[in-house]
Amino acid sequence: MKVAKFFELAKANGIEECQLTISKSKTTGFSIFHSELEGFQISDDISIKACGVVNGKLGSSSTQKDGKGCFEFLVEGILKSAKISEKEGEASIFPGSKKYHKKNVFNPELGNTPIEDKIKTALSLEKEILAYDSRISEVTAIQYEEKETVSEIYNSHGLKLKDKGNYFIMYAGAAAKDGDKVKENYEISYGTSLSTYNKDEFIKNLCDGVLAKFGADACNSGKYPTVLKNSVFASLANYFIHSTIAEEVQRGSSFLAGKLGTKIASTKITISEKPLLPNIFFSYFDDEGVAKENKDIVKNGVLKTYLYNTETAKVDGVESTGNGAYAGGRLATSYSNIYIKGGKATFDEMISGVKEGVYITEIQGLGTGMNPRSGDFSCQAQGFMIEDGKVTKPLTLITLSGNLFKMLNEVSGFDNNEKLTLSSIICSDILVKQMSIGGK
Amino acid sequence: MISKSLALKVLNECLATGGDYAEVYVEETTNQSVELENGKVNSSSESKSYGVGIRILNGFKSVYGYTSDTTQSSLMNLAHSLAASYNGARTITVEKIAKKRVNNINKIDDHLIDVPVEEKIAYLKECTEAAQAVDQRIVRVVANFSNSHREWELFNAEGPVGNQINNTEERGRMFLLAMAVGEGGKIETGTTRPGRYDGWHWFKEIDYKGKSRRAAEIAIQSLTADECPSGVYPVVITNGWGGVLFHEACGHPLESSATSKKQSVFSESIGKQIASKLVSAYDDGTLPNEWGSNNIDSEGVKTRKNCLIKDGICKGFMVDRLNGRRLGMEPNGTCRRESYKYEPTSRMSNTYIAAGKDDPEQIIKDTKLGIYVNDFGGGSVNPMTGEFNFSASEAYIIRDGKICEPVRGCTLIGSGSEVLMNIDRVGNDVDLGQGNCGAASGSVPVNVGQPTLRISAMTVGGRGGKLE
Repeated sequence: MKVAKFFELAKANGIEECQLTISKSKTTGFSIFHSELEGFQISDDISIKACGVVNGKLGSSSTQKDGKGCFEFLVEGILKSAKISEKEGEASIFPGSKKYHKKNVFNPELGNTPIEDKIKTALSLEKEILAYDSRISEVTAIQYEEKETVSEIYNSHGLKLKDKGNYFIMYAGAAAKDGDKVKENYEISYGTSLSTYNKDEFIKNLCDGVLAKFGADACNSGKYPTVLKNSVFASLANYFIHSTIAEEVQRGSSFLAGKLGTKIASTKITISEKPLLPNIFFSYFDDEGVAKENKDIVKNGVLKTYLYNTETAKVDGVESTGNGAYAGGRLATSYSNIYIKGGKATFDEMISGVKEGVYITEIQGLGTGMNPRSGDFSCQAQGFMIEDGKVTKPLTLITLSGNLFKMLNEVSGFDNNEKLTLSSIICSDILVKQMSIGGK
Repeated sequence: MISKSLALKVLNECLATGGDYAEVYVEETTNQSVELENGKVNSSSESKSYGVGIRILNGFKSVYGYTSDTTQSSLMNLAHSLAASYNGARTITVEKIAKKRVNNINKIDDHLIDVPVEEKIAYLKECTEAAQAVDQRIVRVVANFSNSHREWELFNAEGPVGNQINNTEERGRMFLLAMAVGEGGKIETGTTRPGRYDGWHWFKEIDYKGKSRRAAEIAIQSLTADECPSGVYPVVITNGWGGVLFHEACGHPLESSATSKKQSVFSESIGKQIASKLVSAYDDGTLPNEWGSNNIDSEGVKTRKNCLIKDGICKGFMVDRLNGRRLGMEPNGTCRRESYKYEPTSRMSNTYIAAGKDDPEQIIKDTKLGIYVNDFGGGSVNPMTGEFNFSASEAYIIRDGKICEPVRGCTLIGSGSEVLMNIDRVGNDVDLGQGNCGAASGSVPVNVGQPTLRISAMTVGGRGGKLE
């Protein structure tokens, strides 16, 4: 693609400054059902986004139709949307950062391993899952996907940035039967190298997880000391991170408005953004071309910064924190590799002092059960009782409810069981002094 | 969109290794969106989604690929790579492609794509003003109008004569969010989100200002509502969007993608009672101009009205071609996808519980102590166990047959099979509500629907203690 042609056309149409983003992706995937290769998928995709400034207003457009007429469509789209914008302030295109922390996280070995080998691995995985315990009745699905992405940014100030990455994701679901009771569980593994996939641990997590659900019942409603598994804590924490987005704060939608520099959580809470960690979420520039940096968001309970793009940074008179994201024709904010500092204790040590509590391992329906503005939430949950410092009987059909901000003030501690979740949050299991459980 | 001769070549390349069905789906969609924040245009966009999806079936197996590069070499390469997954000999040679006529049941004269953006902005300003006028505590109103115009073309073949099918889909949706701030900085919201497969006149004819006002009123009401109690109570659920319960608890487990692999609580249920005798339910993709309707499905099968439950007895599933093979059932026009990036599969369209005989007011009158749910945020279900959850965004306590104080933070949980059996009253006021349903083949527009109905006992989760 001749990007210079785009900039010429934009200039000729009165677009003062502009940016072009080209994202390409290639995927290969397959699924296994009952010992057979059931599905196979490949794709090769492109997306071209453009934005530009006309009379101080930002306009944008996007297309997947590369080729003839593509640049004309993009330029026309910018002109149209800039014309009707009533957004306050002078828009501008970020020229470029002084320094970028570029790293090569692309792993060529992943794509070079023949797909046949990966299919064989998946087929043998299915056999081993079934052999784990006689109650494992079915492997409901095994799915594998690998993806290569390339993203490039060009702007009319001469900036050129390119980042290339790849990853794999392996999913397996299993069902177990005991009498007429059926229980289900799934496990996911992902990374940039297949060497990080630990088959034995994968099978153990999947199978132990499903077998532990037999005999599950609701507990009595009440308030309990509550342990949230790292993946559950990550789902909740995601809403907290969302309220540190400057745009939410500036328009009064965030609970954290006016709280910069104040204590908003227990001193045990330290949250950073580490976009430069060399994992599957690594990136060294944001959608505006701003260099990404690692930084603390909350340190020992004190709110250190909001997350900014160039537009919201201008409003507060600060620099962008490299969190700009173009979405649906507007400049929004996003984040990656949120790191929540864990503890030193093992899981068993952490719960050793809990006389009667609840250990939540799964939640459902948070998307609608969470009021992201007030932090009030209520959702369906599964897990276990904790009695005299030990995990005991399984729980199902219970609800977990509380307030997110209050919860972060009532932290007893963390264990050292760190996990990188698919929502790009790294955290450990957390023990909260008290949460509401709805059951019998 | 691509030439017939190219389609013929690609289909034959697909079938070279023993595949017994091949399809080429070509799509070009234009999406327009404009959003106002407190009455001022905050963003607008026009974007194009464009590409081709190719699928080859062989018995119970399928291979799928897509690309946004629609040149001959790219499509032939994709077809070749996909076909390489099978190692049989050719059984089908496609000799010609015949154009299949599609009956347009969703007629539109005033296309949303032709409406000047200034007119949409003026409309959204009226919505915003209506919401803002409700109360000074409404501090933020976001109003959005988005519409899509999709042209798609399907070439498919399972014998020497292939089909060419062309279809156009046009949908629009208004969305308004009103945010209220109360004492101590407490924030609550209310929304309205009407949508339809229709032209601009429909959006002008509905009571859009009333709907916007109502969204603001809900936000204000929630500021002072008490926490919902928890326990097991009779629950009365409103008509229209209340049908999301049925969608989650019963609709998803009746999709053949779940039943064909025996991965649904209803896999073996045809001919058996799965719901109270008062319940009959349908999935109907043919309702003219409804949000979830279509002229034809994603694999070229005409949409139709499918009976799922009749008087409590399970009568059928949503069946697509591939899963139909496992089940030994014919596809019934329910195969859908978000875009060319998704392999299509059986999905719901407009799915609803049919009207019963009760007067909705009488249902409330006959409830001594319970919960009345007037709006849901949404929910999810595990199709294998049927366990689900819903979160109510507007709920009230029913006391002595009257709707009393509002409550917030209300979650309903249970299992689909139990709840369906526990429906003890069904109203005569069936209505539909619009949603976007996310599943294996992406996010697709669906209508949920039902009359006012009562579930005799259901687990309610909230933080307000026991109901007294």
